[in-house]
Amino acid sequence: MGRMSILVSPELCIGCRGCQTACKEWNQLEGEKTENRGTTENPPDLSTRTYNKIRYVELPSEKNPVRLLFVSQRCMHCGDAGCMKICPAPGALFKTDEGAVAFDRDKCIGCRLCVTSCPFNVPRYDEKNKISKCHLCADRISQGLTPACTKTCPTGALRYGDRDELLGLAKKAGYTKVYGASDLEGLGAMYAFMDPPNIYGMKENPAIPESVVFWDNVLKPLAYLGLGGAVAASLLHYVAFGPKKYEDGEEAKKDEQ
Amino acid sequence: MIKKVNGFEILVHWTMAVSFFILVISGFGFMFKLEQIGSAFGGFAQMRDIHNWAGVVFAAALFLTTFHYLPVALKFTSDDVAWLRKGGGYLSKKAHVPPQDEINAGQKLLYFAVLFSGIAISVTGVIIWLRPNMDDLNKGVLLSFLIHNISFIVYLIVSPIHIYMATLANPGTLRIMLSGSVPLEWARKRHAKWVQKMGY
Repeated sequence: MGRMSILVSPELCIGCRGCQTACKEWNQLEGEKTENRGTTENPPDLSTRTYNKIRYVELPSEKNPVRLLFVSQRCMHCGDAGCMKICPAPGALFKTDEGAVAFDRDKCIGCRLCVTSCPFNVPRYDEKNKISKCHLCADRISQGLTPACTKTCPTGALRYGDRDELLGLAKKAGYTKVYGASDLEGLGAMYAFMDPPNIYGMKENPAIPESVVFWDNVLKPLAYLGLGGAVAASLLHYVAFGPKKYEDGEEAKKDEQ
Repeated sequence: MIKKVNGFEILVHWTMAVSFFILVISGFGFMFKLEQIGSAFGGFAQMRDIHNWAGVVFAAALFLTTFHYLPVALKFTSDDVAWLRKGGGYLSKKAHVPPQDEINAGQKLLYFAVLFSGIAISVTGVIIWLRPNMDDLNKGVLLSFLIHNISFIVYLIVSPIHIYMATLANPGTLRIMLSGSVPLEWARKRHAKWVQKMGY
């Protein structure tokens, strides 16, 4: 199977937030009590009960005094996922055949390192100290269904399908640069932006923290090399020089007694 | 025979050694996601708890060593420098090295390596463990993670050498960790200044 993906087209989004509701319904996530913050953008942030949300960006200009952008936020299902890289528990975070970054709560050990390593600040921890986030409806897509959010989207602002096909679709629609086409070995949630990504509240060049990359590329091999090298050097020394002997050379015998 | 260390020091060293092996093995399990090691510890969640508490034990034992070894290690004399210049006599078949105190220059350097990376690995370990759930502290946790892993590698390099020096390279040294006493002749060759100080 080819890699699957979501294509987000903010220009098509009407901000109905049906995707948020459908997500909660399928994943059985409770509603959240929030405060009126003077906007219909709600809830304010991703949480253990909110796997996706629409971010509202108001961009009034002279040309268009009521320009309002709706940007779907979720796990980006990175090709090279920082969360998976740093996670110390095998199987707690894993890639599905479709390319979704899914999680197994039973295997999560609650260290929260994935939170620090995510380029998009996505993973959240619940009361039981277990990870939760969008998993691209791994249980649905494995059965050939589409994710709940894309299933419910009435305008095509969220589309699910073969990643290459979606990229072609965006190109055809006139988007020369698709956000996430190649970042982090390609994102599983791509965005057809008309303006620079930062206008939509997205990082220009998302990347896994340098220290995590350094750890993975340099320190991990160095752990084996350091240990192996020290053992090898010791043995080599033993072969070359043997046990330490002092002037009279009789000592070794005396020690035996 | 001459008493080199007392029972308390022996206990502290064994405590450090045992917790060290638990920490290194579980550390490798986490670093490379090794399923077999995880199973041996009863699952990764339990391995995390064991790793964290073994770390507390290790840090406590390390703290206790400072009372005895830190003042000794801090006395770095010209004999120590000369000893290091000769590579401790380890680079020739017969050793001709300046007289050494209770612990030799190499042991002093080893102690500082263990102490400093031990402090670093303990402090950063606590930060990773009890990480406050705040976004602005993510960078602190990442930095701690980095330092924790660098200190880990320092230990991985230093420990095999330490174990080699105390066993194969210097037969008879392990007695210090078992009974705490060594033959007078043995001590006189390795720790002449100390033996003299002890009045032999």
